[in-house]
Amino acid sequence: MKALVYIEKKDGSPIGTSLEVLTAANALGADITAVSAAVPADCIDEDIVTSAVVAEARDGGYDIVLFAATTLGKIVAPRVAARLLAGSVNDAISIAADGDGFCVIRPVYGGTAQEKIGIAGKAVISVRSGSYEAAESVPEIKEITAPDADEIGIKILEAIAEAGEAVNLEDANIIVAGGRGMGSEEDFALCKELADILGGVVGATRPAIENGWINRTHQVGQSGKIVAPSVYIACGVSGATQHVSGMSGSKYIIAINKDEEAPIFDVADIGIVGDVKKILPLMIEEFKKKQG
Amino acid sequence: MEILVCMKQVPDDSIEIKLGADGQPDLSKAEPQGNAFDTYAQELAVRYIEANGGTVSILSLGPAENETCLKSALAVGAEKAYRVDDAGFEDADAFVTANLLAAAIKKIEADNGAPFDLVLCGRESTDYIGGEVAEYLAEKAARPFVTNVVEIVQENDGAIQAKKELDSGYNWVDAPLPAVMTISKPDYDPRYPKIKDKMAARKKEVPVLAAVDLALEDGDKVALVKYLGYQEPPKREAGVKIQEEEPADAVAKMFEILAADKVL
Ligand SMILES: Cc1cc2nc3c(=O)[nH]c(=O)nc-3n(C[C@H](O)[C@H](O)[C@H](O)COP(=O)(O)OP(=O)(O)OC[C@H]3O[C@@H](n4cnc5c(N)ncnc54)[C@H](O)[C@@H]3O)c2cc1C
Repeated sequence: MKALVYIEKKDGSPIGTSLEVLTAANALGADITAVSAAVPADCIDEDIVTSAVVAEARDGGYDIVLFAATTLGKIVAPRVAARLLAGSVNDAISIAADGDGFCVIRPVYGGTAQEKIGIAGKAVISVRSGSYEAAESVPEIKEITAPDADEIGIKILEAIAEAGEAVNLEDANIIVAGGRGMGSEEDFALCKELADILGGVVGATRPAIENGWINRTHQVGQSGKIVAPSVYIACGVSGATQHVSGMSGSKYIIAINKDEEAPIFDVADIGIVGDVKKILPLMIEEFKKKQG
Repeated sequence: MEILVCMKQVPDDSIEIKLGADGQPDLSKAEPQGNAFDTYAQELAVRYIEANGGTVSILSLGPAENETCLKSALAVGAEKAYRVDDAGFEDADAFVTANLLAAAIKKIEADNGAPFDLVLCGRESTDYIGGEVAEYLAEKAARPFVTNVVEIVQENDGAIQAKKELDSGYNWVDAPLPAVMTISKPDYDPRYPKIKDKMAARKKEVPVLAAVDLALEDGDKVALVKYLGYQEPPKREAGVKIQEEEPADAVAKMFEILAADKVL
């Protein structure tokens, strides 16, 4: 079996989810060709990557083309599939060979159910972050280019960076996430304080972002980032499926919520029923003491 | 500006859907509604035409029940709503769904004598969360494609400027028309219908196109993936719940458990 794996890079290195995709390809026993495309500054990455991967895949005799299920990967996978007339699946959590095709499992309904999908022939699949261990070694990554880069797609007029520092939630080992229950921007800052002490990063629910307490790049969930850290601390988060689907892969979950019925407790290893504004300062103090 | 919004009818996204005894998702407690991201697309479109003129039309593929979301859409600023009856295509995957939508759009455009300037889709549906239909549709229609748009501004010379959401910022792009776009969550929420608009919407007729009558090439009718069934996700074991009067006692207890579990 031949697999084409698209490696997504950030600051020049493969992102964590792309390393997981390599493991998924290895698990299929596939011959792997790893590729990556450089994107001209005025072009949209989706257009360039779609065209470059299609050019590589068209005559390459690949049985499967794999992406990380990132914003980019989830848009490019079906576009590539459309051009190759292959079956596509986004957000796969497991992929198995099945005769000449594949059997894929993916979450639906925000992760409260999973569906099985069969693809009879060639497949283009994006792999959900946290589904496989990261590969320890990376094969040589071939640079591919879009043959028609000058003509395709739409040109960028202006790029606006999100205010604030860049975050890498997907590769974070510890995440302290705040929800609407943090109550205010000042109290939301407690999440940042705890994250800093633990060497982690801050996550947020959609309401916390819509209240302007933190910027959008911190969103965890269905329309934010899918994360699987060692420890996830959810503060004033109710546990709506759209949020839980993005963090239920975390290895250890601590939840603080004043409502003992909050659904977040259903997925928590430790659930503290209480006022987050009283609990968090005490936790911060204790962790500070522990670290000396 | 003529805008068409593709709308999927989905179960209420605030209800947790679990598998029933028959192994199928139990939708009995979830009222049908327009997919959230499609309603964001409609609101963005309606705001645009309110400022700049034009009309917003809605297109939904599905059985007669889908009139629920179409009537709702007609009550919040859509002028026309079309339904493509999916009889004969109940097993459609994203590829076939997009091909049917593309063929229906072509037919409506031919009847109208002009293409829609913009075809909008929500970035994904809240039930299957595949995020594939708009991508297949844009490829099929071979029109310029911009994803995760949160704002559009006045077109000039047959183009429109769109603000595209990125993981860490935004791009303003210039999209030649006609174009296809997916819409993410703008800063605002969709409006609620006024009673009188609801009443008027109920009386409006929804033209129905039969999927089997649409001009589709044979290859475009064959699903590329097959749905084989559902399974329960592995259950997370319920952990320890700490309920102490004093916050300090709760925190002390948490540190005991963390030490025992060798975490942090
Ligand atoms: C299409 C769509 C996509 C979405 N995508 C996402 C997504 O990607 N990510 C996301 O997070 N959401 C998403 N949402 C929103 C989601 O449905 C929920 O509304 C959201 O996750 C709830 O956020 P929350 O837990 O912060 O707020 P709430 O649900 O309002 O919960 C606040 C919680 O804080 C608790 N609380 C209040 N005060 C205190 C206190 N002093 N101490 C302790 N606890 C307190 C309350 O008991 C409550 O449980 C999406 C919704 C839709 C429709």
